Amino acid sequence: MAQRAMQEATFLILTALATASQHGYGIITDVTQISGGRVRLRAGTLYTALDRLRSDELIAVDREEVVDNRLRRYYRLTPKGSQTLATEAARLQANAAVALTRLNASRPGLAGGGA
Amino acid sequence: MTDSPGLERGYRRLLACYPRAFRREHAEEVLAVLMASAPDGQKRPRLAESADVFWSALKMRLRGPGPASENRPWADALALFSLVAPLFLLLVDILNVAWPYRLQLGTRNSFFAQAFGPHPEIGGLPLLSVHIFTITVAAEVLLAVLVLLGLRWAALAALVGTAGYWAAAGQSIPWIPYPLQLLTTGVFIVEAAALVASPGPRRGRQLVNWRVAVMLAVAAAAVYVSTFRYDMSTFPGRLVAWQPSAATFYLAGSVVLAVAVVILAVVWKLTPYLLLLLAAMFWPYAIQLAFVLTGGTTDLLGNPTPRHLVALYLPPVLFACWVLLTAVAPHRSRLLPS
Repeated sequence: MAQRAMQEATFLILTALATASQHGYGIITDVTQISGGRVRLRAGTLYTALDRLRSDELIAVDREEVVDNRLRRYYRLTPKGSQTLATEAARLQANAAVALTRLNASRPGLAGGGA
Repeated sequence: MTDSPGLERGYRRLLACYPRAFRREHAEEVLAVLMASAPDGQKRPRLAESADVFWSALKMRLRGPGPASENRPWADALALFSLVAPLFLLLVDILNVAWPYRLQLGTRNSFFAQAFGPHPEIGGLPLLSVHIFTITVAAEVLLAVLVLLGLRWAALAALVGTAGYWAAAGQSIPWIPYPLQLLTTGVFIVEAAALVASPGPRRGRQLVNWRVAVMLAVAAAAVYVSTFRYDMSTFPGRLVAWQPSAATFYLAGSVVLAVAVVILAVVWKLTPYLLLLLAAMFWPYAIQLAFVLTGGTTDLLGNPTPRHLVALYLPPVLFACWVLLTAVAPHRSRLLPS
């Protein structure tokens, strides 16, 4: 059976963790930045996703800190999470490449950076 | 970011929506994110934040104790149940045969005295002379042997075959005691789900111990004592001049034994998931018993309406569906986001 495509929020969360571990609020701000402000995660949504990603072993707890008497738990990608993200990124890239190629073929100059 | 105490209290109240296990691990962490996300001057949770937390908590609760393959205590409880439920059912049936009790009809009603004789027995040894009961018990022995051997799918096939036989034969011989019918149905519904969704009775064999055995033996005793009180309120037990003290004795005895089951489970730290499964299994009989004890003049099974059947069987059926869903959840939710 074909594997389901990863939804955007999941993709962005994994992307936020691709370079370094981050705590919850850090992930929210990073996802907002990565998506150009289009995706703004709320706390409940984020932790439902983190809970599922942890059970899927795509992320793991990296460390904990207490800052200003508040608990910060940092999450990191697991090797399985990195592999999954890489696979999904390649899939999206391939799809985008096909889309751009076809657009360029049918309407030259419309796609490909609008040069 | 704000440090409003009122806002923090509001968020803490919201977090109470989450399952306890999640709160224990993540409450302070989520609270920190909520407080960090709140703009200065915010005094209470906003509607959108509250809805988001509610929705998130609801999804976690619907997910239940977790996919069976990922939640070891839940998976183990299912495996243990898949082993012990058939053994429990067999024990209850044997109890009802091994210790017969006589209904002293006497001459109160000559018609029934003539029909049943002066000392009819409900439950007890006369059941052995009923063809359907003998075959059913034999099938239950087979089911018990199969789960003891750890043969999950063979046990499931035996269960389905027994249920089919019971349903077909029960149409022509309706007087098999209702407690046994209801308990058997409850066991079969939950057991079928447990056999499919759990790691199987072989895993259950590794987990079973004398404490579980004692607890279930006490539960079987509770069922047995309660059947006396049950039969006092149902035909033909109503025809008997029972001593009022006997009703109190049987009712109190079954309640004490049922409470003892819970106490033993708590003291011996048996997984609450096992109690949840047992509760679903007991549901049909417990509802029937409650109906009779609260003044119901007929058995729910005697002339069942659709409403009766829904009250008796829908909860355990829904529970079994939910158990099955927890088994497929890992495949269904793979890579789905929040």
